[in-house]
Parts: sequence; C-alpha cells; structure tokens
Amino acid sequence: MEFFLTPASLFLFGGLFLFGAFGALLLSRLVPDGGKIAGTFAHVLGFLGSLAALTTAFAVLVSGQAIAFSLPGTLPFVEFAFRFDALAAYFVILVSLVGMAASIYGIGYQKHFFGGHSLGWFGFLYNIFLLSLVFIPLANQAFFFLFLWEIMSLSSYFLVVFERKEESVQAGFLYFLMTHLGTAFVMLALLLAYGATGSFAFDDWRVASANITPLLQSLIFLFALIGFGTKAGIIPLHIWLPEAHPAAPSHVSALMSGVMVKTALFMLVRFFFDFFPGARMEWGLAFMLLGSLSALLGILYALAERDIKRLLAYSTVENVGIMLMGFGAALVFFGLGAESFALFALAAMLYHMLNHAIFKSLLFLGAGAVVEATGTRNLNAYGGLLKFLPLSGFFFLIGSLAISAFPPLNGFASEWLTFQSLFVGIASPSLLVKATFIITIVSLVMTSGLAAATFVKAFGTSFLGRARTVRTELPHEADQLMLLAMGFLALLTLVLGVGATFMIAALIGMIASIGLTDPLSLRFPFSEFIAAREQFANVLPLETIGMLLLVIFAVAGGAVYFATRKRGIVYGRTWDCGTPLSPRTQISSTGFSRSLVTIFQGILRPTRQTSIEYQDGKMRYFIKYQGIKMGLGDPYRSGIYGPAHNVLLFFARQARRIQSGNVNAYALYMFVTLILLLVWTLYS
Amino acid sequence: MYRLLRKIAVTPKVVIPESELMTLQIPELGAELSPLVKKLFKGSLAIREVAAGSSNAEEQELTALTNAYYDIERFGVRFVASPRHADMLFVTGPVSRNMAEGLKRTYEATPAPKLVVAVGDGAIDGGVYRGSYAIHDSVSEVIPVDFSIPGDPPAPKVVMAALLQILRDIDNQTEK
Repeated sequence: MEFFLTPASLFLFGGLFLFGAFGALLLSRLVPDGGKIAGTFAHVLGFLGSLAALTTAFAVLVSGQAIAFSLPGTLPFVEFAFRFDALAAYFVILVSLVGMAASIYGIGYQKHFFGGHSLGWFGFLYNIFLLSLVFIPLANQAFFFLFLWEIMSLSSYFLVVFERKEESVQAGFLYFLMTHLGTAFVMLALLLAYGATGSFAFDDWRVASANITPLLQSLIFLFALIGFGTKAGIIPLHIWLPEAHPAAPSHVSALMSGVMVKTALFMLVRFFFDFFPGARMEWGLAFMLLGSLSALLGILYALAERDIKRLLAYSTVENVGIMLMGFGAALVFFGLGAESFALFALAAMLYHMLNHAIFKSLLFLGAGAVVEATGTRNLNAYGGLLKFLPLSGFFFLIGSLAISAFPPLNGFASEWLTFQSLFVGIASPSLLVKATFIITIVSLVMTSGLAAATFVKAFGTSFLGRARTVRTELPHEADQLMLLAMGFLALLTLVLGVGATFMIAALIGMIASIGLTDPLSLRFPFSEFIAAREQFANVLPLETIGMLLLVIFAVAGGAVYFATRKRGIVYGRTWDCGTPLSPRTQISSTGFSRSLVTIFQGILRPTRQTSIEYQDGKMRYFIKYQGIKMGLGDPYRSGIYGPAHNVLLFFARQARRIQSGNVNAYALYMFVTLILLLVWTLYS
Repeated sequence: MYRLLRKIAVTPKVVIPESELMTLQIPELGAELSPLVKKLFKGSLAIREVAAGSSNAEEQELTALTNAYYDIERFGVRFVASPRHADMLFVTGPVSRNMAEGLKRTYEATPAPKLVVAVGDGAIDGGVYRGSYAIHDSVSEVIPVDFSIPGDPPAPKVVMAALLQILRDIDNQTEK
C-alpha cells in the first residue's frame, strides 16, 4: 500500500501502458505474423495498467493524501507536474474500471481484425489512448495538460479511422476538425489564465484566482465552456460525436463515449470549482439551460436513430446534459451560498459521471457483440437475437435498465439524486432561478421518459421478435472474454446502484477533501454531510428497494412457477392465417419511434421522400417498386456550420486578392512591410 | 313485367312455412345445448370452420346456423376467426392436396384440448369425390378426427342435434 502512495506508482502504470504500446508495435514488426500476439499483448498490458491505476487511485482516496511531484524537464513552458488528488483519483477510478473491461473485451473482439488490419498499430494507439485518459486528470501544468489532451485527441482520431472504411474516414475528418476547434478554445482559456495569473502551473492558478478581474474570469470560463463543450458534445457542438464514436471499434467506442467525453466535464469541474472558484451564479443557470437542451435534444435524436451505435452516441449527448444540470445546479447553489446543496448537486453530477461511464460502456460492448454477430449496425436488420446471444442480450438489458433509471441499478441512483438537488432549487426566492430550475426539471422528466422509450426500442428491436432480415448464417454468441467484460460492468451497475448511500457519503467526503474551498476554514462542516447523507438515505433507501425488488421477484417467480408447474410448453409456429410471415411483418425500429417523432416534429423536422416506379409506364396500374425514405433535418449543419463555412470561404476569397502567387508581389509586400516597420520604430 | 309482379304477389313472405317452423324445435334443442356448453366450456363454445376442399354446400348450412332464424350464438356457440381462439374445429370437404398443409397448420395452431369434427360426407370418407387423385379421401388421413356429422350436406338442424350429441358424449366421458 505504501508503494502506491509514491510517485513510483505513477511510473508503474504509465510504464505499463507505454510498454504495451511500444511492445505491441515491436511484436507485430519482429514476430512474423505477430498481429494476434501483438493485439493480445497490448490488451493485457492495457488491463494491467488500468489495474495498477485503479489500485493507486484507491490508495489515494483511502489515505486521503495527494501525490504531487514534478519531473525535472528542460522544455520551455512545459513542466511535467503531477498532482494525484482525490478528485483526480475518482476520475482515474472511472477511467480504469472502463479501461479494464474494455481491455478484457478487446482480447476477444480483436479477432474481428485478424488479417487486413495492423493489430500492432492498433495496440499502440489503444495503450497511448488509455495512457492519456489516465494522465489528463493528473496533469498539473497547463502545457503538460495540453500535450496530453492533444495526444488523447490524436490517438482517438487514429482509432476512429482505424477500420479505413469510407464512412469512418469521413467521421474521423469531422472529429479531427471539431476537436481542434475545441482545442483552440481550450488553448485560449489556458493562455488567458496565464495572462491573468502569470503562470502555467495549475497550483499558482489556485492561489491567484482571488485576484482575477470578473471580466477576465468570465472570458476564461466562456472559452473553457466552448473548448471543453466541444469534447463533451454539448449541443450544438455535438455534431462530431454521433459520427466518430460509432466509427471506432466497439471497445474504443466504449472508452470514447464512456470516458473521453468525461475528461472535458472533469476539466470543467476543475476550472469552475478548483482553479477559479466563486463563479457567478448566472454561469450555473447557463449550464443548466445548456444541459436541459442537450439532454432533451440528445435523447430525441437517439430515439429517431436506427443505427445502434449512433443511438448510443446520441444517448451520451443526453447524459452529458444531465451531468451539466447537476453541475449548473451546484454553481447556482454556490452562488446563493447554499453550500451543502451545492455539494449535493456536485455529488450527483460526479456520481452520474461514473454511472454513465459504466452503463454506457456496457451498452457499447453489448452493441459490439451484436454488430459482430450480425455484421450490421442497422437496428431494422436485427430481431430475435436473444435466442442466439442470450448472455449478451441479458447484459445489454441490464445496461438498458440502468440507463433508463430503473431501480435499484445505478442510473436510477444518480438521476434521482440530480432530481433531488434540482427540487431544492425551486425554493429559491429569485424568479429567474426558480424558472430555470423548473425548466430543467421538466426537461429531465421528459428526458427520462424518452430515454426509457429509446432503450425499449433498442433492446426490443434487436433482441426480441423474429429476425428482421433473411439471414444467410446464424448469429453466434460473443466470445467468453467479451462476456466476462460485460458481466463485470453489469455487476458494477448493480453494486453502484445498491450501494448508493455509501457512494453519496464517499463522494461528499471526497469533494470536501479536495479543498474546493480554503481548508483552514472548512466551509462544509462534517455534520452537514452526515445530515445530507441521512436525508438521502431516508428519501431513497436503495438497499431496501433492492431487497424489496428481490423479494417481489422471488415471490412473483415462485407464484408463476407454482401455477404453471404442471403445464407443458408446446413450441409451434406463429398463426399466420395462411399468409407466410416475412421478416418485415413486425414493427420496425423506425415504426416504433415514428409516433414520438411525429409528436416532436417541430423540433426534429422529419423529412420524407417517396419514390415509385411502374411496370407499365403511363398506365400506372402495376407498381414495380415503391420506396419511402425517412430522415431528420439537420439544423446544425444548415443553420450554424453551413453559414460559418460560407463566411470562412468569403474571407478566403477576399484574401486571394493579395495572395496572387506571384513572387514579385511577395517581394513587394516584404519591402513595404520593412519600410512601415522602420517608420514605426523611428517615430515611436 | 307481369311475371315479376305475379312472382312478388305469389311468393310467400317467409321462406319456410310457419307450420314447419313450429315443428323444428330449435328452442328445445338449444335449451338442452346451452347448459352443456355452459358446463363444459365455461359459457361459450368457440368453433373454427376449416373448408378443406368442400363444395361449399356445408359452408352454406353452417352459415345458416348463425342467421337470425337458427341463431346458434344465443346458446353459446360461436364461429371464430382464428384457430387460436377455438375449442373445436369443423372440417368440411375431402381435404384437397393443396389444403392438407393448411389443415395441419390450423390443427397445430389450435390450443389443446382440441376437438375435431368432420362435417359432411366428403369430410368423413371423401363422399362423391372418393378416389380422386386430387384429394386425401378423408380428414382423418390428415389429422385425428374425434367426431363426425354425416349428411351431404347436413342440415343446420341436424348439425345442431349432432352437436348436442357430441357434447353429451363428452359430458358422459368426463363424468366417468
């Protein structure tokens, strides 16, 4: 245990990841036909690295002491400074739990890529990606952080385009563009913070934050919001997310959707609560409204989606929205001086962050198993898969229940906690605050309902019913290691749900310990946590609910067994009135969501194209082919990115007037500039 | 024109004379049928009719059972649209080769315990079509048959009387 509290433990898991990365590259090059060995090696090392990181994080959390040190470096601006505090430890736990599951899954899933794809290169990228995810929360210096941030973006970009399909290359390009737009804003925020504090070290920011002018602080916050918001997929900056997340291999999708978007949220927590505390309350209101928008629109797009991985990606947008609601509520409560409620809301946000990471990864891994079994991502082509993938289906069901906030699973615990903290806000005397809280609550209510509908659709159309296409080969159950990974995450959803009361206490203690406020005058007396915890346990005794559900299921199951024990079961074909049933004589995923899409057509703007072809040209009696194409309008491209593109193009055209390409002209420009500079130096 | 008017004048208002109607004893038959239906089938007997290559004569007679005159529904016997809802199958016709598969599937789709009644001579032994290359000669060659109602076609009243007899048989068997 002592070892894990020293800087050496950071070198241990960092080294494991690097060993995995470069080892995989070397193995695939040196060993003939070594792709399989390289892939397995990379995933095993990724697992071990995650395990070591998890152990360190637990050691830090339990001991309550942070690991802080910096490496001697000679690079200008960059200082390799680490700070492994409780908040970082919490995030590292999140990363490494998902990392472990994804790595185990990857060993089975990589079969997919044997032959045709370089697994050495994949193993390298995978480990580098994990490394950057684990180390981003530990970075304690602006440029070091930026360096890791960029490594994360680049490694994930290469993972997105790994399969080299046309769609994944296009998705990768969009991701590349958007993520660098985000990074530009992050850089602006960091540089402004440097301008305000005169240092790149995060420790100096914490000290100097009190002296920053409100205007500068607001600017830093704005740029941080846009920069990190792009990574987090806040609407309307989300457009890359549903393209890029599905394009990557499934366990990488799990890491991207479950963990990578959270790095941005984690940095927002750092910026608003840790580096520059004392943000104005209005920021909280803005975050709540942004969160409401993201949550509601995200889930509506997920509902209308028929690509299983895109559906999950849109659901990530929704969940990020829910986290922002908690985040915003915490800011508002801080602004109003109601610290214990702020603590509560922040705990809700952080809790949902962990929970979403777990169940979204579980769902992505499940989707991966389904995609591998059927070879398509189209929900309308699934159906009846539960017979072929009973265990994967069961784990996907657990994930769906968790994400639909079904007690006693973890999604319910954190969404309920978010609700609780939002309900408190209605009591505020200010009309503006009250209205914002009400809007947010309504949005969250609708989001929860629609999320349930979305996952009824996702599970129902893929696993239940009959096959929706004619299959030339039967789908097969996932590899045992893949099942192990999914089972591990499914178990975690239950543990994190039933152990909610304990988690809340731990989270509140953790938030207090990172010293969001002056440690000398602890603004949150411990009795308040206890009160908050007790209050929560009174409202929501999840252990009791869990036990109760267990009893109900046991009693109901027993009753059903008793009543039907003498009945025989006869399996027969479906009565079809003499008309043979085709794969299409059942509700499709598009049909399932169509009525809800129609209700929300003001927002979703569904499009509809019909096409018809006749056998007999002008007579129009015998139809040869009739098709209908339904889709959704894309207001972000037509309303925001399109016009922005046009403006950029306009300025580029203007610039072309002086950029003639003529060398003589450029010489003239240089000459004129020189003269002007000379004149300027003479007269100033 | 004259002929038509005469026909209207001469043709009686009811197709069956009232005297004959009195001797039909439909209510008496029904009065015995209805308690048995109540007892054996908890209130209603659902019958699915399967036309397995019949000449449509049997169908005409069976359809007559539900008209306003016989109105068998008032005694708790009903013809249903799906074998999934049926207690009993009425199979008519000598089972043409094309209908054999359909008959088998209908039989499989009927929930157990199920009763199969072959209605009409065609269903029992092929009737006038017996020996044809296009038929299976009888329903019992395709699915197990429990009861038969002879006649080509059996009159509605005969069907009712036979149904009563069938229910009595079942009742006696269950009491044993």
